[in-house]
Amino acid sequence: MSEQPYKTWQCRTCGYIYDEEAGDPNEGLAPGTRWSDLPDTWICPLCGTPKSDFDMIEL
Amino acid sequence: MTISTELANTIVDPRAYADGDRVDQAFAWLRQNAPLEQAQPEGFDPFWVVTRHADILEVERQNELFHNGDRSTVLTTIEADQKVRAMMGGSPHLVRSLVQMDNPDHLAYRRLTQGWFMPQNLRKLEDRIREIATGFLDRMAAQGGSCDFARDVAFLYPLHVIMEVIGVPETDEPRMLKLTQELFGSADPELNRTGTETYDAQTGVDTIQSVVMDFMMYFNAMTEDRRKTPREDLATVIANGEVHGQPLGHLEAMSYYIIAATAGHDTTSSTTAAALWAMAENPEQFEKVKADRSLIPGLIEESIRWATPVKHFMRTATDDAELAGKKIAKGDWLFLSYPSGNRDETVFEDPFKFRVDRTPNKHVAFGYGAHVCLGQHLARMEMRILWEEFFKRVASVEMAGEPKRMAASFVCGPKSVPIRFTLN
Repeated sequence: MSEQPYKTWQCRTCGYIYDEEAGDPNEGLAPGTRWSDLPDTWICPLCGTPKSDFDMIEL
Repeated sequence: MTISTELANTIVDPRAYADGDRVDQAFAWLRQNAPLEQAQPEGFDPFWVVTRHADILEVERQNELFHNGDRSTVLTTIEADQKVRAMMGGSPHLVRSLVQMDNPDHLAYRRLTQGWFMPQNLRKLEDRIREIATGFLDRMAAQGGSCDFARDVAFLYPLHVIMEVIGVPETDEPRMLKLTQELFGSADPELNRTGTETYDAQTGVDTIQSVVMDFMMYFNAMTEDRRKTPREDLATVIANGEVHGQPLGHLEAMSYYIIAATAGHDTTSSTTAAALWAMAENPEQFEKVKADRSLIPGLIEESIRWATPVKHFMRTATDDAELAGKKIAKGDWLFLSYPSGNRDETVFEDPFKFRVDRTPNKHVAFGYGAHVCLGQHLARMEMRILWEEFFKRVASVEMAGEPKRMAASFVCGPKSVPIRFTLN
């Protein structure tokens, strides 16, 4: 079975974009880290918005 | 304990921010010895001084417990506060922008323009912004090896970008720059409307109000124009926008334009000017970026931390609360010192060193939580494009005179950065 395509998620408050393919090395998230692998307690690194207030977006 | 009057007077003194070292030393002492205590400078109501990075985040995160709009959002004297309230029917604010609002209005008004400032929307501006950046660098190059980088490039480039976004014609940009500098530089005799070092409340409030009125007259005409003839600009969004199913109130609409036309360029200008000042004084940092352009994002974040152009915002406790072990009472006023948070030794190693490869670099210069800077993605994009183009053509920079900072305790940065440069 092929790998699921990478997705991008955006913070509703500040617009920060989490791209699964790129990860966020500054936050200790290696490239390829899936959204589902981020803990529910994870918060937006720019503004502190909870993970539940992110939307999946297409760029 | 209460912070000494001498120290309290320093952290509200615009001249201490122009000096730089004086305010840095005051906050370094406070972080070490009194990180969260009350201050009462002469002529002011008492307020808590929040100096640590973690405590600033905690207050900003709890935007229902710590309101923006219940008291003045900017530190103000008792006398000035009374005059503003007398003028504004009891409100402590001369304007009512996102900065002075709390929910539900804050969220509703923010949503009106949020889409404009999202990274995916800004991408369409990339080519045009690059054109503007290269135009200013061409002019700098034509000056023959020396310029005042603040006045010749840093003030003008973000100004031109945001004015195009808003829809202000280029011919009016000098007026917008002057009004912005008169507003934020109201305590600086080289920039304010009176040309004097005036600290009495009546003159201060009158001066700021006259600047605000000039902005309002200008944008009132623009509102009428955009209602008759909508365009693809931000002014059209504000002029024709609805919040809670109604057109924006007059004060709220005018305030929306004013914050976009001031904070929308001045803070990026200050950061850009401060970055070049820092690189001219730390040539090894300039050489690092020149040799490795992948450090440009690091340069940008470090510049923002280094400059921290917004020096403070005030918050008001809506209930009794505990913060860092201190009892905050309902109605207490809190002074969030962003430069102090961005020099917090427990978060930043060697905080007084400018390092383009600093990582992580989780500064609080854009704020945090619901009120985090709406224009942060535009600011970063403008700086990225400018530095990408700058490092393609500039081979070296050095100071060519004494740089100067604006005297202001709210929003300020360099006002003159004389440099010599060579081109590739």
